[in-house]
Amino acid sequence: MFGRLSGGLGMAIQKAVEQARDTNFFETGTTGSGVYPFINLFEKEGDLVLTTELPGVKKEELTLEVREDVLRLAGKRSIEYGEDCSCHRMERKGFNFDRSLKLPFRIEGGKIQAKLENGLLMMVLPRAESDKPKKIAID
Amino acid sequence: MAENTVTAKSEVQDHQKQELKEERTVEGRFFIPHTDIIENKESLIVIMDLPGVQKENLRVRLENNVLEIEGRTDYSPYEKLNPVYTEYSIGNYARSFTVTHAVDTRNIEAIFKDGVLTLTLFKSPESKPREIAVS
Repeated sequence: MFGRLSGGLGMAIQKAVEQARDTNFFETGTTGSGVYPFINLFEKEGDLVLTTELPGVKKEELTLEVREDVLRLAGKRSIEYGEDCSCHRMERKGFNFDRSLKLPFRIEGGKIQAKLENGLLMMVLPRAESDKPKKIAID
Repeated sequence: MAENTVTAKSEVQDHQKQELKEERTVEGRFFIPHTDIIENKESLIVIMDLPGVQKENLRVRLENNVLEIEGRTDYSPYEKLNPVYTEYSIGNYARSFTVTHAVDTRNIEAIFKDGVLTLTLFKSPESKPREIAVS
């Protein structure tokens, strides 16, 4: 890996770091971080909109929390089949998820709108008034 | 606190949506929805994840022993949004299955709830196990 030192060192280190990143070495399951469910973040007129796909998850099984600029998405999607069935194909996975995201600004907790429809969760996260940039008047 | 299990990166990558590579006459990206197929004594049950699709845009067709499911995503909630950070793709869903004669093609139930489509294909009476009397 570090065979050729002259000139190639920069390249070799870069390659080694990238290879390490692709292994499981850096995936530590610390509380509050996770990989599921996949989310998309959009921006609309200064507010954030978060979408995620949670087919089969009901409102009661989902926990959404916001604290200043951290958003927490937790819940459980369970897939169960009876004992007398023979499963030909199982591509869907049930999982517990608990994911926290640090957002670029603080959120106005009271004004969040969240809608879960057809398995798609869409949340509008408005920026907190106290976090918006204020114009400074010059005397 | 929910128990935290470490999810391997390869497991997560496997769970990403796969795109349908064939060409279609209608525009739009199509993905393959994750499907579970289970069988019990009475029927074959096909369960598919179709998040973001509305019932009106979901088409299930059975023709010439091919079961075709197509769900078109509703793009209207995304109209004025600018993507900032994305982890998954958004698109339509399509998948087709060849159905054998063991299924009673006139008796198929479809239920769509919370983005999950459940198709119950009842087995035709000829293919169910029968007791044969010995005289």
